[in-house]
Amino acid sequence: MQTTVSEVTEQQVQVESSRVATPEVDAPAKKLIKPLTGAEALMQSLVEEGVETIFGYPGGAIMPVYDALYDYQDRLNHILVRHEQGAAHAAEGYARISGRPGVCLVTSGPGATNLITGIADAMSDSTPIVCLVGQVFASLLGTDAFQETDVIGVTMPITKWNYQITSADEIPEIISKAFYIAQTGRPGPVVIDIAKNAQQELMTKAFSYKKCEKVVSYRPRLIPKQDQLEKAAELINNAKRPYILVGHGVLISKAEKELLAFIEKTGIPVASTLLGQSAVPCDHPLYTGWLGMHGNYGSNVMTDECDVLIGLGMRFDDRVTGNASKFAPQAKVIHIEIDPAEIDKIIKAEAPVVGDAKEALIRLLPLVKENDHTAWRNEFRKYDAIEYEKVKAPALAPTTEKLKMPEVIDMLSKKTNGEAVMVADVGQHQMMTSAYYQYRRPHSLITSGGLGTMGFALPAAFGAKVGDPSREVIAIIGDGCFQMTLQELGTIAQNKLPVKAIILNNNYLGMVRQWQQLFHNRRYSFVELQNPDFIMIAKGFGVDGHTCSKREDLSASLDTLLASDKPYLLEVIVEQEENVFPMVPAGTSVSAIRLE
Amino acid sequence: MNTYTICIFTENTIGLLNRITIIFTRRRINIESLTVSETERKGVSRFTIVIKHESRDHVEKLVRQIRKIVEVMAVFGYLDEDIVSNEIALFKIATPLGATPLDIEYINKHFNAWVVNWQLDYVVIEKTGSEKQIFEFFNYIKPHGIIEFVRSGRIAVGKTEKGLVEYLPDVEWEYYL
Ligand SMILES: Cc1ncc(C[n+]2csc(CCOP(=O)(O)OP(=O)(O)O)c2C)c(N)n1
Repeated sequence: MQTTVSEVTEQQVQVESSRVATPEVDAPAKKLIKPLTGAEALMQSLVEEGVETIFGYPGGAIMPVYDALYDYQDRLNHILVRHEQGAAHAAEGYARISGRPGVCLVTSGPGATNLITGIADAMSDSTPIVCLVGQVFASLLGTDAFQETDVIGVTMPITKWNYQITSADEIPEIISKAFYIAQTGRPGPVVIDIAKNAQQELMTKAFSYKKCEKVVSYRPRLIPKQDQLEKAAELINNAKRPYILVGHGVLISKAEKELLAFIEKTGIPVASTLLGQSAVPCDHPLYTGWLGMHGNYGSNVMTDECDVLIGLGMRFDDRVTGNASKFAPQAKVIHIEIDPAEIDKIIKAEAPVVGDAKEALIRLLPLVKENDHTAWRNEFRKYDAIEYEKVKAPALAPTTEKLKMPEVIDMLSKKTNGEAVMVADVGQHQMMTSAYYQYRRPHSLITSGGLGTMGFALPAAFGAKVGDPSREVIAIIGDGCFQMTLQELGTIAQNKLPVKAIILNNNYLGMVRQWQQLFHNRRYSFVELQNPDFIMIAKGFGVDGHTCSKREDLSASLDTLLASDKPYLLEVIVEQEENVFPMVPAGTSVSAIRLE
Repeated sequence: MNTYTICIFTENTIGLLNRITIIFTRRRINIESLTVSETERKGVSRFTIVIKHESRDHVEKLVRQIRKIVEVMAVFGYLDEDIVSNEIALFKIATPLGATPLDIEYINKHFNAWVVNWQLDYVVIEKTGSEKQIFEFFNYIKPHGIIEFVRSGRIAVGKTEKGLVEYLPDVEWEYYL
């Protein structure tokens, strides 16, 4: 018998409410004596949240906050970007590598709208950022005042949460709520729009800050239900050809160790999505590569052939599934996911497990049997060999004169021992960075997956460098992408951030050109670029660099880049009409995968 | 096409209506009717939204998307047989001198409708009931000349024994009741 919609949702809600019943004892709130202005309260709140760095750009409607920031320079490091989009992407890069929310501070109107692309990007990739936006005086709201934009209205569909503050007294509570919502459950961007009067006026009560620990209406489920876990375990234990797809959720929940324990016990081979790259070391014997439109041949074929598919912290994006109705046709799907709205959204799950990836793996481990699935795993070797012969070998040992993207990434991978953080922009170079770098450590590929935002890499790279200065951060950027946010070289130079950037210059909007070649009869409509002298531009910003166009210079060029303790730009001239393979044409099933 | 009634319990804050309707807009689902009011618990609003949809599956996904909104506490989707629902309509009917008089007794007894306001040239009649009942009355009264007609959105309660608020998160609620 079919259950009604109401029963489904009632059950769900019922269990959720029993879970929040534990009352927590409130810690005594800290008190300061002198009344603070809203702007000071904001600074103090950020300090209480443990914020160290803010990426921002000032303007009229946020001046009181910038004024307060002047006194907080010893506690809050502010990085002046060159365009607000850069602030958003830098905050994303920071969040992606550190797991802590990145913070942006911008003015009203155009300052806020310049953030939009970055906010949407963070929404798509579940990246926690907190955007603090100036707004006109509350008394002017709705009057089309100078630089007034309905930021709440504009960002509503692309934020996890947003809120407009109109009085100073609201600031501590709303800021703590903002940070809590941004980083818990499925993380995402939060926008706080702060009217100028709220920044200027004195609070009517003493400042006190209490970290938000729960919001009545918002209760992400971290611990999966036992019956869901048991059902999943049963499917796993009875599977003949099980397969795991890991996504960004694994990295977000820092479940890498638990994942390794799980696959090593069960012997299940594993692929990753683009954003799941680096969750499993690329040289792990159970790792089959990545999957999706440009993913590995073997990984795509194995989803076609598996009988149980475990989607872990991923959302079956259409770049992964191709035609969803033909995706994993033989498989019973186990979907482990923190966001219940993702369950059954694209792919029907036989066994949904709602919860945090790490918590789920910890509880699944004792329920699953040891296994090694040798025959099934060996099948993969066959496909891998085909891909190697048809795609990888020729790409890595080209006979043509011009350098190819794969050999650049491959050499970089070897020289850095697979330990660098690769920040890839969007296009062919992005796919090559995913395919040819041998990731050894988690959080090592930062790229715009869901939105595919050109111009992401340069600002995200310096954000990542700020987020974890101990790691080597290398941005891989197309000549098209670079020209979308190249002004951030100025930010990098001014802040002496030793970010390394490599432009893979093919003089084309390469990925679009590839589609035109394959699907539009080689009609190269507006994809050729007349490029500037990138190195001269970099030098203009105070960033050193050089161009490499010959194979025999590549190794030394990369050495120079890696040896630099300052920011450095290397431009590599690559083959103009190179294509990314394998490729599953959009909207087709993975069985239509093309190797050439 | 099935009619679904979606009941949403939310915090009573600015902008939520917008946030909720965006979800319908993005999925290109038309809202047939919408009513909002505060519930018996202070600070908790109840939205009742009626939509028509072919696919129950899509409605379930919609329900989950709505539940994702931070300020939303609970969402329930119902088919008509799961609920008791009602609407209210007001009819402003012309009563000029010399026109056929209204048969008030018949209107009361047969249609359960009441005159709630008398004026010289018109009366206002209130009719509660289902959409079907309201339109039956509409057709009856039409020959008298309808000057104005307005119908509210649907309100509904589920046919379960529990109050829906029982499903709300466990906190110290302040009750109006
Ligand atoms: C902001 C934005 N505009 C347009 C696109 C569409 N797009 C995707 S890849 C691409 C070409 C990128 O060219 P380039 O940076 O030179 O990289 P390549 O593909 O050549 O490696 C374009 C235009 C996009 N993803 N983002």
